[in-house]
Amino acid sequence: MVRAAYTYFPLVLLALLWEVISRSGVISQDMLPPFSVVMRALWGLIQSGDLLSNGTASLTRAAIGFVLAVGVGALLGAGMALIPWVYRGIDPIVQIFYPLPKSALIPLVLVWFGLGDTSKTFLVFLGCLQPAILATYNGLRGVDVLLGWSARSLGATRFQVVREVMFPAALPQLLTGLRTALAFMFLLMVSSELVIATNGLGYLIGNFGDQGSYPEMFATILVVTALGFLADRGFLALSDHLLRWRP
Amino acid sequence: MSKSGFGIEIEGITHGYVPRSGKPTVALDNVSLSIAPGEFHALLGPSGCGKSTLLFLIGGFQKIQQGTIRTARGLVSEPGPDRGIVFQNFALFPWKTVIENVRYGLEKKGIKGSEAEQRAKHYIDLVHLSGFEKAFPTQLSGGMQQRAAIARTLAIDPDILLMDEPFGALDAQTRRIMQEELLTIWRGTGKTVVFVTHDVAEAVFLADRISVMSARPGRIKRLVSAEFNRSADPTIHKSPAFNDMVEQVWEMVRDEVDQARAQGH
Amino acid sequence: MREILRWLARLSPIFVLLLVWEAVALAGLVKPFLLPAPHAVAGRVWHDLASGQFALNASLTLYRALVGFVLACVIGVPAGILIASERWVRWLAEPLISVGFPMPKIAFLPVFMLWFGVYDLSKIVMVCFAAIFAVVAAAEAGTRGVDKFMLWSARAMGASRADVFREVVLPAAMPQFLTGMQIALPVSLITAVAAEMLMGGAGLGGAMLAAGNYADSPGVFAGIVETSVVGLVAVAGMTALRRHLLRWHAEFNPRG
Repeated sequence: MVRAAYTYFPLVLLALLWEVISRSGVISQDMLPPFSVVMRALWGLIQSGDLLSNGTASLTRAAIGFVLAVGVGALLGAGMALIPWVYRGIDPIVQIFYPLPKSALIPLVLVWFGLGDTSKTFLVFLGCLQPAILATYNGLRGVDVLLGWSARSLGATRFQVVREVMFPAALPQLLTGLRTALAFMFLLMVSSELVIATNGLGYLIGNFGDQGSYPEMFATILVVTALGFLADRGFLALSDHLLRWRP
Repeated sequence: MSKSGFGIEIEGITHGYVPRSGKPTVALDNVSLSIAPGEFHALLGPSGCGKSTLLFLIGGFQKIQQGTIRTARGLVSEPGPDRGIVFQNFALFPWKTVIENVRYGLEKKGIKGSEAEQRAKHYIDLVHLSGFEKAFPTQLSGGMQQRAAIARTLAIDPDILLMDEPFGALDAQTRRIMQEELLTIWRGTGKTVVFVTHDVAEAVFLADRISVMSARPGRIKRLVSAEFNRSADPTIHKSPAFNDMVEQVWEMVRDEVDQARAQGH
Repeated sequence: MREILRWLARLSPIFVLLLVWEAVALAGLVKPFLLPAPHAVAGRVWHDLASGQFALNASLTLYRALVGFVLACVIGVPAGILIASERWVRWLAEPLISVGFPMPKIAFLPVFMLWFGVYDLSKIVMVCFAAIFAVVAAAEAGTRGVDKFMLWSARAMGASRADVFREVVLPAAMPQFLTGMQIALPVSLITAVAAEMLMGGAGLGGAMLAAGNYADSPGVFAGIVETSVVGLVAVAGMTALRRHLLRWHAEFNPRG
């Protein structure tokens, strides 16, 4: 507890600095509303329920897209790692989409699915699919062949080798890849809502910006930042738990 | 090159550290040792006995907490080119070719151009690496990388050669060849050598004298004179005298290993 | 010749995909609005090339992405080194990095528009802000990860502390610096395109969004192809740079 306070104290300093810079007029309050004003705006957003309804809409879409991407990506990645013809069929397609900036897909999902939830969910799915495929594939390919051989010699079947040896051995790399996918999820969630503005946290940010309600805009940005941070820490804690056998 | 060289006087060295988790550990406890000029001295002991720490203190890489270390250049306080060092993991600069690695220390001494080139070539020859001057370390085998590291250290002509398990990462055959070559070079230059190892036969084969060290706290338990290193007889490994000595030293080390195990290391 | 054939065989899944797509489009199974035929998309790409539209949009996007990227590297690498070398700087910076790293940086675009206006400056700052975290984190990890024994070797050969930094720390941490940049470059492109979409105007992102808004689906697909090509060239350039700078490294010298 004391440790955490010590570690994160610089964030408190940053908030203080923010307050001082704005109050003293080094940067005008129109450009940077004081931290305390932003906090008051945040409280207002919580009370009015705007934050909850838009946050729920954002996170639901993002979570569905992410889970679908991880499921499909794990299947495809495992197929690529274990079955040569699946690799030959999928790898070139994954490769040509590798350099595509994922945000370029926003107009595509807009054309395909219109303004509703589906377009944004599908965008998150597409964006997270490739890191999920690559994490699974690289993880399984990186497993030491000797591990599989020793399991076979101890009497494991091929299927057991995959489930009981290769999957746990691939887990560290798999989780690293999924952490990247999680960051992509937040990025695509916010960008799609900024562009296809109907509801959600990204919509709130853009809308408050257009209206000139800057304290509310900063408050929502802080919420998105906190959500990203908490999701990342939560994911790290889960990883550490799953990988507690590591040195 | 002079045969006299420079000795090392170690007096009352005590050294401890606090690991990230756990209680403070005394790595070295009041260690005193006098190493003669031109002596080949081995520090032998189980892992955790502080033999590498002692070597790093002589090198000036870690700050001395208590006691003194003196060489012909005075009290040791920081690293310097009078004390060359060779590490187990070679520590070559991977972005430099073999000859660039060897030239690095020469250039620090202000030796440049064709003279540096010639001196570097001489030492590369000495360690039998001719023809690999332009290779990057990652293109060489472990044994060749260690040869390059030794050439790099010899090239700055240090009074004292510090070696931290330099052959520990090599396969048995390469290791044996490198030991013999090291002795040949040592006999030719007369440098003072401090050689850290946990391999009893290696210590007996190479050293004039062996400090057998105890673990936690690290102390010098026994000083043994070996002196098989003065003859160039390749069959010395088979002589009864050599094998008796290895057995004798092994008994001393075994006590330490047993004790260390009893302490839970 | 055999090399070329093998290469074509490797790419065959892409040709199959294109053929199926063309067949589906020609048979009218899907409305052309949803899925324009490949030949229509290719025609649009050709038109953009011939009219100079592609050159204009791509150079604008690349300009914004690369200036932001270079700024992120120029600021981020020294910052990472400083964080690695000074305890108190590390204490200050570490929580900011761990919060900033997973944050969806694009959420700050309206802030930068407020501060820096709606022209190139805000887009460049946005790109730099999005890309810098990966650069700083990698530079810090690289600097801290330099082999202690390599530093000691240099010191024992008579190198001063400044020599050690310039001649050992910098080259030894170079692979990690480059890794950070390799992560940051695609991020820069993604961010530049997203910023252009949000702010409109010329550039690949703005053109695509306009096409999307006018329901011009060949335009959308052509935009995706064009953006991918730009991304491919940028990523390939970065890989080539890495290969050149790290020709001493084990990853390009298989025997080690």
